[in-house]
Amino acid sequence: MAATPWESDLASEIRERFGEGISATSTYLGQNFIVARPDLAIPILEFLKLDCDFDYLVDLTAVDWPKRAERFDIVYILYSFSRNERVRLKIQIADGYKPETAVGVHLTANWLEREVYDMFGVEFAGHPDMRRILMPDEWEGFPLRKDYGILQQDQRWVRENLGIESGQ
Amino acid sequence: MADTTFLDSTELVLNMGPQHPSTHGVLRVILKLDGEKVLGTECIIGYLHRGVEKIAENRTYAQFNPYVDRMDYVAAISNGLGYCLAVEKLLNVEVPARAQAIRVILTELNRIASHLLWLGTHALDIGAITPVFYCLREREEALKIFEKYCGARLTTHAFRIGGLLYETYDGFEQEIIDFCKMFLPHVDEYEELLTNNRIWVGRLKDVGILSGDECKEFGVTGPVLRAAGVKWDLRKAQPYSGYEKYDFEIPTRTNGDTYDRYIVRMEEMRQSVRIMEQAVAAIPEGPIMGKVGKVIKPPVGEAYVSIEAPKGELGYYAVSDGSTQPYRVRVRPPSFVNLQALDRMIRGGLVADVVAVIGTLDIVLGEIDR
Amino acid sequence: MAGLLKKIFLADLFQGLWVTFRNQDPKLIYTERYPEERPKVAERYRGAPRLNINPDNGETLCIACNLCALACPETLIVVTSERNEETKRKELTTFTYDTSRCMFCGLCEDACPVDALELTQDFEMATYTREGQIWDRQTLEEGPRPTQYKC
Repeated sequence: MAATPWESDLASEIRERFGEGISATSTYLGQNFIVARPDLAIPILEFLKLDCDFDYLVDLTAVDWPKRAERFDIVYILYSFSRNERVRLKIQIADGYKPETAVGVHLTANWLEREVYDMFGVEFAGHPDMRRILMPDEWEGFPLRKDYGILQQDQRWVRENLGIESGQ
Repeated sequence: MADTTFLDSTELVLNMGPQHPSTHGVLRVILKLDGEKVLGTECIIGYLHRGVEKIAENRTYAQFNPYVDRMDYVAAISNGLGYCLAVEKLLNVEVPARAQAIRVILTELNRIASHLLWLGTHALDIGAITPVFYCLREREEALKIFEKYCGARLTTHAFRIGGLLYETYDGFEQEIIDFCKMFLPHVDEYEELLTNNRIWVGRLKDVGILSGDECKEFGVTGPVLRAAGVKWDLRKAQPYSGYEKYDFEIPTRTNGDTYDRYIVRMEEMRQSVRIMEQAVAAIPEGPIMGKVGKVIKPPVGEAYVSIEAPKGELGYYAVSDGSTQPYRVRVRPPSFVNLQALDRMIRGGLVADVVAVIGTLDIVLGEIDR
Repeated sequence: MAGLLKKIFLADLFQGLWVTFRNQDPKLIYTERYPEERPKVAERYRGAPRLNINPDNGETLCIACNLCALACPETLIVVTSERNEETKRKELTTFTYDTSRCMFCGLCEDACPVDALELTQDFEMATYTREGQIWDRQTLEEGPRPTQYKC
């Protein structure tokens, strides 16, 4: 079963409004998602929030696909209380591209974007406080990237801060 | 610069935690104070980071199942349910009705156990020492049922992808009925101890107010959202695991302060008992395992499934690349998102209220740090 | 008026104290006096691992199929086996189980096709050294032997 096109008023409205920037509106296992051009993420979020009542940003995360030219998927999961409906917005970005922050639209995005930066090294432009959140500040490497091995760690940090040779 | 006298106050930066007992784990909060007044806070988290999401990418689907119990360790069964539902969604399998009913019973029992631990420790933080003994006494009964059902008390690993591994033991139904009967008077007992107590009311009323709109803005869910007057519960809004079959209320309050969140959680425990009574009276016969192969290998795709955990919306975003290992599992932890609202709730309050507000958010650091 | 009287006479506090008083009944004591009083754990309890032996001839039930080692999320089981030239069967030589990394999820006992590996009701597994946590075949077959303290 593959993803099928998502046909609804909302989907056609988004396609009409953003035109070329939307590369797919699909549905898979009953869950709808939009794939858009990276620079359109914030306008789409704003449009969904203000005009379509998707007022709750459930989650913001990333997926690493190292073999692809646009290496990261940034996924915004949105929910509308009044429609009782979920929609996912995905953008694909290359390593080094700085997507615009969503903090201006949804305050929740603050820590969630920090976590994406911490784990994947994707920096968000205009974020008020772009620091690591879970890992120590001086840690080197981004653990959830696929090229970061599961046993890999910042040996120097462990030695200096914990006084042991290895944290494993 | 203005002349300063010895009466002028200066800003004081106070470090609370990570070993402070009322931060419920290893949360560190940096408080900026003007006398007793809180000017701002900053949360430092990550002390319990174990890289659960990275572990998921290096385990098979079935092997990762026990790890999710270690995130929100006081509500391990809810975590397991969320993860199993997410993988079942990817596999597109139907869970048999009997397994669904047993899952609902155990999850609701776990909700009660989680709320009891919250109530006990929250009361302890505020200074009421008695409730914690009673709460843990009743929680023990719930944990005994878990132990008898699946062999572990806390990190249960109770559910398997596709259904259940364990059939109920002899007398399971009767024990659940007995628990429900025993438990309801005890909830009244806690309320007798606390609800009208002037110290309790004085410490909680109008502390840490968060309005419904602010909740939505911050993505805060669970009892905190319901206490602010938003009647939203995933068990009703998007029912899973057969919740649509049961008749229960969503308790709400309007004020959105710490006291209201306490009332909402107390009422939620009663509603959980209601669900359990209905579910246990009608456990269907039949198989407990769906059509899942020995090797779990979902087709390429992704799914986001969320459930109403005791702390709020617990979501799992799973991506499959068609192999036996998940390509990515993202956990949307309710505590992590809820904690973000701490700054808004406590700004302008007093130092003593910080403890009350951290307690009322019902955070579990294992889930925040993952 | 009633509210004011209740406030003056501390009704709310006495209400709570009455609950505390009711719970003073000695019948309601829940404390278990471990280790004098042994807790009875449930039948399905997942505790110390054991490698079952056939009670009739004392031979191990394990067929060295390695399924438990594959099922284990922490890969803490190491099974080695040797081919018996007479019977053409694999026979178990060593079985190592690192309990210090075990999280007692029970996936190994689910995987075992002959019910040889089992998580038992023993729960006293503390040792004085880290090496003591790594159990070999002999310990697994005999079970842990915690020191008994008489008082």
